[in-house]
Amino acid sequence: MSDGTDDIKPVACTVKPPVYLQIGDAKTDATHSGVCVVDVTLPFGKPVNIEEITFKNYYTAYVTVRLLRRSPGQDAPAKWCTVLRDLRLMDNPHTEGGSQDYYSIHRTQMQAEPDHVVSIRLILRQPSSAWLTFSLEEIRVFPHVEPDPEKEVSDWLSDLMLMDQHPDLEGLPDPQTVSSSIQQMWALTEVMQSNQTTASIGRFDVDGCYDINLLSLT
Amino acid sequence: MPAGKATKSDGDREFLSQAGVGELLRGAILKMVEARSDDPIGFLADHFCNLASVTDTGAQEQQLLNRALWHLRLAHHSQRSAFSNNVRVAYDLLNLTTPRGGGVSGSLYTHTLQCLCSEGGVPASTSAPLLRCLHCHNHEAVPYDVFRYGVLTCAVFSDYIRQAQRLYAEVCSPDAGPASRALGLAVLGTLKEALETSQGCDAIRYLEASAKISPYKLAHVMVGGQTQGPGGNMDAKEFENEAAELFIARVKVVS
Repeated sequence: MSDGTDDIKPVACTVKPPVYLQIGDAKTDATHSGVCVVDVTLPFGKPVNIEEITFKNYYTAYVTVRLLRRSPGQDAPAKWCTVLRDLRLMDNPHTEGGSQDYYSIHRTQMQAEPDHVVSIRLILRQPSSAWLTFSLEEIRVFPHVEPDPEKEVSDWLSDLMLMDQHPDLEGLPDPQTVSSSIQQMWALTEVMQSNQTTASIGRFDVDGCYDINLLSLT
Repeated sequence: MPAGKATKSDGDREFLSQAGVGELLRGAILKMVEARSDDPIGFLADHFCNLASVTDTGAQEQQLLNRALWHLRLAHHSQRSAFSNNVRVAYDLLNLTTPRGGGVSGSLYTHTLQCLCSEGGVPASTSAPLLRCLHCHNHEAVPYDVFRYGVLTCAVFSDYIRQAQRLYAEVCSPDAGPASRALGLAVLGTLKEALETSQGCDAIRYLEASAKISPYKLAHVMVGGQTQGPGGNMDAKEFENEAAELFIARVKVVS
């Protein structure tokens, strides 16, 4: 499943700077709360069905993911919902384990379908006083891509399997001879196409200008 | 009159080597082996005629054109290396008309293509759209690659039209009347579909295209066409034009 993400490009999104929530008066007595909010907005007017969110951790212990979803249709209200609550990123918030690891949240891990998403809010928690600054880096959102229908090869192959239904050819030309002629015509066209050249015509130049004898008056 | 037998044969040998007859004959035999013509004497006569052409300025262009066309007729386009050699020789001949080389003049090139098409049995009205794709103006210099492409396309097109004419004869009603339009269009439709197969690597493309024009598929298409297609008949000319259109649509316009 995830091998598809090698080919899929992440959606262009804007990651807002992290907002650290403070307890108490902002100016005078602010205390670090250990909670930080990172908003990721997706391109306006183009809701995304999310396949996966990947990021690199930077000393965040837990992350909660909330999505703002707007169902398709005129004036449908946008609603926030929590799709993942307190995903543990670090085994022990005080120690280094998992502090700078790469993580990926797949849609199957989410509690609600991440479809028609307009905005993503990541709520980061780091209860330890050892790490006062914490965030997520390299946040990428990958869209959900419908898998290509695998019908190209099998469609006409299965046609070949139905060879036992012979139609009634009363008054019609022999399909073998007609097919043979058409195959030759197809092959001739292929020969022509495979010999196409990328060369282009030149001009006759005499010291950088046209040779007067070669210009026609018509 | 040289005296004595020994001197006579020496004299003969000297004369032959001076005239370069050995080279002449070797060249003629090589060309004949390549062309494998049914009429060896006629072929040799033409060959020596070509070599003997006088290069007088008035008729020079026409002479060179005739010689070039003669070379182009020698090998069928399916004989790859022989055909390529002949195209090269023809190009070099036509290149002699432009004082500084640098390419064959557009009008001479276009004229060559017209001759090839008409000699190949393609009516002028059928080849006109093809020539519109391939033609060049007088002031344009045609490089070898473009010349080769043009010549090969005309040769292949002649074969294609002949094949289309044969196909029309096959599709005609058994009482030698004109073919039904529904049938004709249905049959050409399978060719169009096969030509439009473009996905995948070459091998898959060939397999898929051949599945679309297999006898089994054609039988179904013909039965279907009979019951569902448009009414009326289609004459040979119309069929030929429809088939030609499929080919010409895929010709790269020369620019």
